[in-house]
Amino acid sequence: MNEGMVRITLLPLGDSFTMPAGSSLADHLFTRGIEFPCGGRGRCRGCRVRVIAGELAETPSDIHLLTPVERKDGWRMSCQARPVSDVSIELRQWSALILADDTPFKFEPQSGFGVAVDIGTTTMAAQLLDLATSRILGTETALNPQGPFGADVMSRIAAASSRDSAAKMMESVRREIAGMVARLCHHLPAGGKVSRGVLVGNTAMHHLFLGFSVATLASYPFKADHLEGVDMRGSEIGWDGVASDAQVQFLPNLGGFVGSDILAVIIATRLHEATVPAGGADLGTNGELVISSGGTLLVASTAAGPAFEGARISQGMRAAPGAIDRMSVENGIINAHVVGGIAPHGICGSGLVDAIACGLDLGIIEPSGRLPSGEMRLRGEVRLIQQDIREVQLAKGAIAAGISILVREKGLKEEDLGVFHLAGAFGNHLDIGNSRRIGLLPIPADKVNPAGNAALLGAKMSLFLPDGGKGLCGDIISRVSHISLETSVDFQDLYAEKMTFPEKGEI
Amino acid sequence: MADLEAVRKAVEFGKKNDAIAATNKALEEGAAPGDLVEKALIPAMAAVGEKFQKGEAFVPEMLVAAKAMKFCMEIIRPKLVGTGYKPVGKVVIGTVRGDLHDIGKNLVKMMMEGAGFEVVDLGVNVEPAQFVEAVKQHSPQVVAMSALLTTTMLAMPDTVIALKEAGIRDRVKVIIGGAPITESFSKEIGADGYRSDAFAAATLAKELVGSK
Repeated sequence: MNEGMVRITLLPLGDSFTMPAGSSLADHLFTRGIEFPCGGRGRCRGCRVRVIAGELAETPSDIHLLTPVERKDGWRMSCQARPVSDVSIELRQWSALILADDTPFKFEPQSGFGVAVDIGTTTMAAQLLDLATSRILGTETALNPQGPFGADVMSRIAAASSRDSAAKMMESVRREIAGMVARLCHHLPAGGKVSRGVLVGNTAMHHLFLGFSVATLASYPFKADHLEGVDMRGSEIGWDGVASDAQVQFLPNLGGFVGSDILAVIIATRLHEATVPAGGADLGTNGELVISSGGTLLVASTAAGPAFEGARISQGMRAAPGAIDRMSVENGIINAHVVGGIAPHGICGSGLVDAIACGLDLGIIEPSGRLPSGEMRLRGEVRLIQQDIREVQLAKGAIAAGISILVREKGLKEEDLGVFHLAGAFGNHLDIGNSRRIGLLPIPADKVNPAGNAALLGAKMSLFLPDGGKGLCGDIISRVSHISLETSVDFQDLYAEKMTFPEKGEI
Repeated sequence: MADLEAVRKAVEFGKKNDAIAATNKALEEGAAPGDLVEKALIPAMAAVGEKFQKGEAFVPEMLVAAKAMKFCMEIIRPKLVGTGYKPVGKVVIGTVRGDLHDIGKNLVKMMMEGAGFEVVDLGVNVEPAQFVEAVKQHSPQVVAMSALLTTTMLAMPDTVIALKEAGIRDRVKVIIGGAPITESFSKEIGADGYRSDAFAAATLAKELVGSK
């Protein structure tokens, strides 16, 4: 480290940069797509960040605009901050873009209130519902506070091999969710109490929340310590605003890394009742896949990695202001749309898929993935380089090969699927036609249904189920098989085949 | 004069059927089997490896080239017997305990074969004891380990320790690779080297064998 320089780490993705000690943090954040709604004058709260490690001194604006509790939790106004030592910060604006859900659904009215929580590896979302009407009374989103322990599931599991870190991860996620629930409970009518709670997440999130060992998920055969769901009393979980006799459940896992988040997606999309072959995917940092036909379901997880979350891409970023999120070609000219209508700073997952589709159509990118010119200029200073395209090939190849293997195991072909539900933020912002153009989803565009945050929706629907959903979950689990894609005999050939892009006339 | 160039080109561009035909033709025309390996197959795989390093080729191109090479090698191998042709050296390779990922390991294996090594492939989820056993049985100059996961790379130091405890660590050079591996991790666990791509790994193995 140079004399007088400090290192700033941005979470959850671990992007970091150095800057002169004591200089303005805002200048450096702005070039990374952070917006300053009041122009960086310390008058609004829009640019606030939370200190995860290290220190940022409190400024007069912090004291004026933030509550003592917020300041104690590490919140600061980034526009006023002048770091003098290394610091890791979490960006509020990123968490503000997390996908929640407001899909209406059928329900049996009940008394009381319920909380549904979706714990993602990167992001978390929680909603408060009136169980008599299914009306959403409040929504809270946050980044998973385990981010400093690693961006993906495997690095969290590696970190959890230290008992101390495992305890810290459990405490941090429990504290964050307790805070989200407490804030949701501000929306309760006078005298109202939460009587039901449902939590969903992948197997690792389930274990790290409940304090089970993830050691067996670290290596082959990747068997979970606990597949079962866990029932808790409100008094045990200790959430403010939740009745002490409230029933809170973490729904059961399906196998391997495929957890209750996919169980919730199945419940939300009714894949277990499908009368024609159907499928679904949750394309997060940990990609999870399901195919349903003939009354049984097959699930698998695929290590697509975080490329579509913007990580490992030279100018990758989340779908924050300044990100190119959509691109198209008209008369041979590239049009790029930028989130927030400002100068582009980078590209997010949906923009990446569009950019590659455009590059293929214009002949800038070869079907092999080769970029003969070395770079593809998109807009402003934002461009793709050869390595970016290779990262996308690895990620999309893993997803496409996973779908192919599941479909084949069911004795089907991709075109036999009547519908394919796409859950999660990336899946929802994706241009379906372009995802087919680059061979990410080898499924006809009219069959693909963007399903929003279907894991959260499924968790909400579970709040209304009799016997806490045990009957339905048990029924689905009895019909689910989990397979490990890597052990499929021709996984290597199929994966390599799916890494290339389809020829123009091929789709 | 046999056309070694036709074999080299067909292998480099992964044209399996052309490569087989060109190999058979070259042998019929009297090409020395050793020359086919050294002047056609090895340069072809080196060319693919270099293109991979420059970003001009990727996993699929490397795999098809390696497959074409494998078919040619199967034709040539029986004819090498008794010609005095010697492999560059012997490598024992495997993906470590707890890890099932074999694409990276297979690419390294192919580039090793493409560089003239004899390779003993132990497959995936290979226990430290299996590496020890294979070293005793095959007497390789190099042991190559692969791991793709942050969690499974920890089986690498276990394997190095197992080789030490068996008293055979000094007989072999240990090289490692895989997405989470770094040069500093290699030093920390007492390996003899790390490379980030398959062609570089094969080049490293050659250097290590030469230095012995």
